[in-house]
Amino acid sequence: MAASRCWRLLPPSRRLSLHTAAEVAVAAPEATASDVAPAREARYPPIVASLTAKSKAARQRRIERWQAQVHAAEAVDEKLRILTKMQFMKYVVYPQSFALNADRWYQGFTKTVFLSGLPPAEPEPVPEPAPDLASLRAAACDCLLQEHSYLRRKRRAHLYREGEAVASPFLGQLVAALVGLLSAHNPTLATAAVDSKRPVHFYWMRGEEIIVSGHRKGRVDALRYQIDDKPHNQIRISKQLPEFVPLDYSVPIEIPVMNCKPDKLPLFKRQYENIIFTGTKTADPYCYGHTQFHLLPDKLKRARLLRRNCGNQIEVVFRANAIASLFAWTGAQAMYQGFWSQADVTRPFVSQGVITDGKYFAFFCYQLNTLALTTQADQNNPRKNLCWGTHSQPLYDTIEDNEVKGFNDDVLLQLVRFLLKRPKEDHSQVLEN
Amino acid sequence: MARNVLYPLYQLGGPQLRVFRTNFFIQLVRPGRAQPEDTVQFRIPMQMTRLDLRNYLQSIYGVPVAAVRTRVQHGSNRKRDHRHVRVKKPDFKVAYVQLAHGQTFTFPDLFPEKPPDTEGSADSDLQDYLLEQEQQRQISDPRRGGVPSWFSL
Repeated sequence: MAASRCWRLLPPSRRLSLHTAAEVAVAAPEATASDVAPAREARYPPIVASLTAKSKAARQRRIERWQAQVHAAEAVDEKLRILTKMQFMKYVVYPQSFALNADRWYQGFTKTVFLSGLPPAEPEPVPEPAPDLASLRAAACDCLLQEHSYLRRKRRAHLYREGEAVASPFLGQLVAALVGLLSAHNPTLATAAVDSKRPVHFYWMRGEEIIVSGHRKGRVDALRYQIDDKPHNQIRISKQLPEFVPLDYSVPIEIPVMNCKPDKLPLFKRQYENIIFTGTKTADPYCYGHTQFHLLPDKLKRARLLRRNCGNQIEVVFRANAIASLFAWTGAQAMYQGFWSQADVTRPFVSQGVITDGKYFAFFCYQLNTLALTTQADQNNPRKNLCWGTHSQPLYDTIEDNEVKGFNDDVLLQLVRFLLKRPKEDHSQVLEN
Repeated sequence: MARNVLYPLYQLGGPQLRVFRTNFFIQLVRPGRAQPEDTVQFRIPMQMTRLDLRNYLQSIYGVPVAAVRTRVQHGSNRKRDHRHVRVKKPDFKVAYVQLAHGQTFTFPDLFPEKPPDTEGSADSDLQDYLLEQEQQRQISDPRRGGVPSWFSL
């Protein structure tokens, strides 16, 4: 303001004329020299909005400056640091949530369409020798019996955690056994990294709200979300899995829209470090995801849900866990490759998930097609993330007298098919060999 | 289980406390903020817990309840009367009940606006006729020119 007042004291025309006169005097011989008249250069710096004013234009300029910083950063670590360094109140999304109809809410938060059943399987070009089902079944039964009947435990399990105390070591041993037995058939598994209870974190923004109270009342603010997940096991590989459907595959199903704020879910806000983490740091070559295994806590077991009239929430629990965990994992994988909401993914990121409570298994496949979930980036974005999933099926009926009764081979076959998935390059290598 | 009643102390092996005619009375209210379709909002007595409310709704009204969340609303103590003494509005407990089996509930519109067209023409004619009759009864002698009847001998 002071600067403009000073300018007004002197008649602007005289200053302009002095400037232009001098320029013309210098430029005249140059102009006469060249045949084509050069374009007039701008004499003043570009007229842009203020940086510090309380206006929408100023806010837009600040946001653009921040986004330009992210675009300019070369290392992925630097990009992630600039995106996550400012801390504000954010919704903490729990994948294993007791909230009712959580899967419909999570679909809205992550822009995911849920499709029942598994994605169409690609036809196998090279007939591989089928893995021996009997040995796999024997290994699975051995793991089950070891935990349920053979092992004598000295200490009783914690209160209300009896199911987890038996199911957790069983799942760990089952994964290790199957990975070991199938690595002969799938060379990616032989070189894959198998994690146990490694944290997976993801931070993103979606949607906007008007701040209700406080010193920022009335202003528009983005809604921020954070997922802090700890899958029981996960398998990471160095090359990406092939996509299930093309990147711009359009599904006629609409994403459910909820009419109220996420607080009604119930979902609570907290402010702490914004972390994006796949399970390892950015320098690790095994940065792409293959399969995650999740164990549901005793709080969400079937008997308890049925007692509380929540019979229709049994499948919801599996779906909500899959959507949230797999979105967080694939999103973190994409951000590790340098993609973010203003630089959307150019190839789909694919991961698989197996969710179990010790007896019932449900299988999910997730394809991340878009990371552009903020209001600004989502305006002309027709892409949606896709999640395929099955209903939960029991692996066995009962375990009596050191024997597994009613073993379900379909569940085991599906597990084997999941673990045998491999990246496309390996196929061509096998063909060459 | 009941208001203003001393609950007997439970000891191991003792009988389950059962209350057959409860002292609790609850109010179904219209939510102030938008709630999901399966959520119903109640004002309940401060001594009632979410377990009590679940049993109340399921046993007395047969409403299947999936989840209950409660909070206590502080009643304002800010207003002061003519003696500058604070006037307290009573505190109350609010419960958000989520219905089971996919049921939904919307608070009904208790005072819908009556559109003028649907008013029966017969009713309005009757009203007009009665008004006219009243006016005719009250009209005095026109020769007096509007002067009231007590202004005379």
